[in-house]
Amino acid sequence: MSPSDESSGNRTYTRRNILETSALAGLGSLAGCTSLYSDQTGAQISLSDFRGSGPLVSGRQPPGGVSMEEMPDLSGTLTLYLGGGERGLYVRLFDLLREKYPEFTLLTNTGPSTRLAQTIIQEYQSNALQGDVFLPVDAGALGVVAAAGATQKLPDSILTKVPRKFRGDNGQWTGLEGRVRSIPYNTNKFDESDIPNDIFAFPDTSALKGTMGWAPTYGAFQAFITAMRILNGPSKTKEWLREMMNYGVQRYGNEYFVASAVADGAIGAGFANHYYALRVQNARPDAPLKLAFTTDDAGSLVNVSGACVLAGTQQESLAQNFIRHLLSSEAQEFFATVTKGYPLIKGVAPLGNLPTIRQLNPPEFDLTKLKNLQKTIDLMREVGVL
Amino acid sequence: MEMYARITQRIRGYDDQDIGLTLLSGGIAAFILLPLIWLLIRSTYVDISRAREVLFRPTTAQIFINSILLVILVTTLSLLIGVPLAVLTVQTDLPFRRFWTIAVALPLVIPSYIGAFAYMSGFGPNGVIANVLSPLGIETVPAVVGLSGTVLVLTLFTYPYVFLTTRAALLSFNSTLLEAARSLNHSRWSAFRNVTLPRILPGIAAGALLVALYTLSDFGTPAIMRYDVFTRIIYVEYGAYGKDFAALLSVQLVVITTVILAIESQLEVPESTNQATLTNRKARQSLGIWKYPATIYCLVVVTLALLLPLGILFYWLFHGSAGITGTEFSIEYAVNSVYVSGLAAIVAVLAAIPVAYHSARNNSLISRLFERATYIGYAVPGVVIGLALVSFGLQYAQFLYQTIPLLIFAYIVRFLPQAVGTIRTSTLQMDPALIDAARSLGHSSVSTFRRVTLPLIGPGVIAGGALVFLTTMKELPATLMLGPIGFETIVTYIWIVQKSGYYGKAAIPALILVAISGLSMVVLLARGDFRGQQ
Repeated sequence: MSPSDESSGNRTYTRRNILETSALAGLGSLAGCTSLYSDQTGAQISLSDFRGSGPLVSGRQPPGGVSMEEMPDLSGTLTLYLGGGERGLYVRLFDLLREKYPEFTLLTNTGPSTRLAQTIIQEYQSNALQGDVFLPVDAGALGVVAAAGATQKLPDSILTKVPRKFRGDNGQWTGLEGRVRSIPYNTNKFDESDIPNDIFAFPDTSALKGTMGWAPTYGAFQAFITAMRILNGPSKTKEWLREMMNYGVQRYGNEYFVASAVADGAIGAGFANHYYALRVQNARPDAPLKLAFTTDDAGSLVNVSGACVLAGTQQESLAQNFIRHLLSSEAQEFFATVTKGYPLIKGVAPLGNLPTIRQLNPPEFDLTKLKNLQKTIDLMREVGVL
Repeated sequence: MEMYARITQRIRGYDDQDIGLTLLSGGIAAFILLPLIWLLIRSTYVDISRAREVLFRPTTAQIFINSILLVILVTTLSLLIGVPLAVLTVQTDLPFRRFWTIAVALPLVIPSYIGAFAYMSGFGPNGVIANVLSPLGIETVPAVVGLSGTVLVLTLFTYPYVFLTTRAALLSFNSTLLEAARSLNHSRWSAFRNVTLPRILPGIAAGALLVALYTLSDFGTPAIMRYDVFTRIIYVEYGAYGKDFAALLSVQLVVITTVILAIESQLEVPESTNQATLTNRKARQSLGIWKYPATIYCLVVVTLALLLPLGILFYWLFHGSAGITGTEFSIEYAVNSVYVSGLAAIVAVLAAIPVAYHSARNNSLISRLFERATYIGYAVPGVVIGLALVSFGLQYAQFLYQTIPLLIFAYIVRFLPQAVGTIRTSTLQMDPALIDAARSLGHSSVSTFRRVTLPLIGPGVIAGGALVFLTTMKELPATLMLGPIGFETIVTYIWIVQKSGYYGKAAIPALILVAISGLSMVVLLARGDFRGQQ
């Protein structure tokens, strides 16, 4: 990557320069991933178990932060409400925890994040909460549950691990893994210089006209529009949506399909969370697909998957300890290398092809406000996007 | 005078057992409507001005037209595919008849969102098919999207409703009539139109109704195919914490359903079509040279509805990302699926027999009303039924919340009409004189039911149970919402891996889903056949 790219703030990370950087970084750190961690009670689990594989991973520095070894053992039965399809992604992490702690039993109830949030609120209001921990993929769902009073404050020892902007008001929840809004684009059709670094510049960029795609019914997209509505006001947001529609943007059912359509060349670029492009790339390494990011606007919003302890749980200390484990160096390394998200604790870097959150320069935004989804839906409906 | 006689006969015929049956049938209908009453109550909580905005904006009219258009097209095409297949497999000497019977019924078990995903990723300029065929020089494969894509996919995975109900009707149909017509020099087509068709019409209509209502309630296919229908705005509202609005919009869906049910009632042949006898003879018509095009026709349907989607899933198995170790499929999920689906099928059949029997025997307004009432839950998306039962469970029956019984109840609310429709059709075809005869020979009503009625309506009962079993196997939203904590089925597993983007991982469980369903279909359909041949 050239220095001018970095200073202009318009960063696009090619596969090639990732390989170069990670090859350099890898020389000094091979030892880090082979060191074995042992535990008296459970199986021997090494850091490499928590890591993904591939060239981007093998050269990584050992993660910073606090290791699971320094945390109390997990023991007892915990019921987790797990939002999104993330169980498919996090299951390996949970399996490792089970292997490491034979005394630990984890039961999960899975469903879309907003649906689980509503179920939790209903359960809470009927005094029949079933779960101990809620782990959705969207900060808005955590905000909704917290606003209903169904959460309890996390201890400061957990909260201080994560930057303030990735936590809830009054310490009601904490982020675990970041996900960034991005512009996946087809490299056969566009260069990185064709992609604007200002979200509001898209409707004026004639090169992209009629070639873009989005998924307006998808939660992550609606969170992005919620952020735009709050950051820039409803009228500017409506105008942007209208202009994009006139611009001939195509609609998809979810953002994986958007990233996939970009890779296929069916569209030239789209709006999607960053990891969808990485997953498409994982499936089709030769796909002509790269990511671009906007700067300091809703287009580069960093949302989080996060966790809260549910009010009235009988398993308070286990629930807290579980969340603490998800913020350990091993779990954060897992989020970085396996699910390809953004680790949120100090000392663990995102995958080599991704800019750091600091480099991204995302907008200042209170994630709890993402819970005000209904106004966003009304706005999107008014302009006819929904 | 004649009318007076008919009325007195009707009054005299209305003995204690009939009243008992009416009460039972009404009770079942009321039970099924319970979650829908919650919908009505919930929908009154909405903010009126926002409700007006939601309901009366211009796109609502467009969505209404889209939904109706979709229902009409899918239903028509399903009839065009399902009825000929049923006639071919029941009444002709089609080669490998039994194989085709099972193969053409199987697409029913493929969840429509899997089918839609397969078609979406399979077709198009850079789809799987284009990739596979590119060495042959075929570069342009049209994309399957929008109205045509939605119609294609929904038709391919719902026509088996028509096939199965029509088949059940044909099996109960006495083909000696057909032979008589043919011997009177009616052409094959004329004999079919004048003799067979009127008598199997209730069966065809029952299947068409199931297709129409399923189409109305399906979310996955139109969402993936990018076609705007009612379910899509319901999901948008629900996803945005607007469950009252989701309820209000579902009430709209219920209104449309009621209209469809009323229309279907008008279409039906009210006159008794009793034909089935215990000595039903099944003479098969020879297809002659026509057996080649008939076989090709079956092959084309099975290829499009079964082989192609499964093939595309397998392509993803070998070309998609491997996923993360740990997301392995467990046989326990399959056991869970079979367990709840089997329970749902048994309960549904037990609940459907009184309603269907009552409705078919007493063609009164009230019996028809009870029967029609069981259909309404079928057109309401699973997520809304799930939502209603979560609220119901939490408020009034916490001991049932997140237990198998409440989950089964959700399945019954959604799928009961499948059993009611097929059993009612079989009952309509039965000659009531047989029952009178058995009763006059001193058999008790229970003994008569067991020894005369049940064997005669057997094909309908089996088809109904099979339908409920198969659709429960693939049901997703209610299973996710109401299943006990940690309860995984084949379909919740598929949902999880698909949501994570590991489409290849869906191939094996999808195949297991088809295999288990196929096996049960072999058992169920073979028994139906046997019964028909006796």
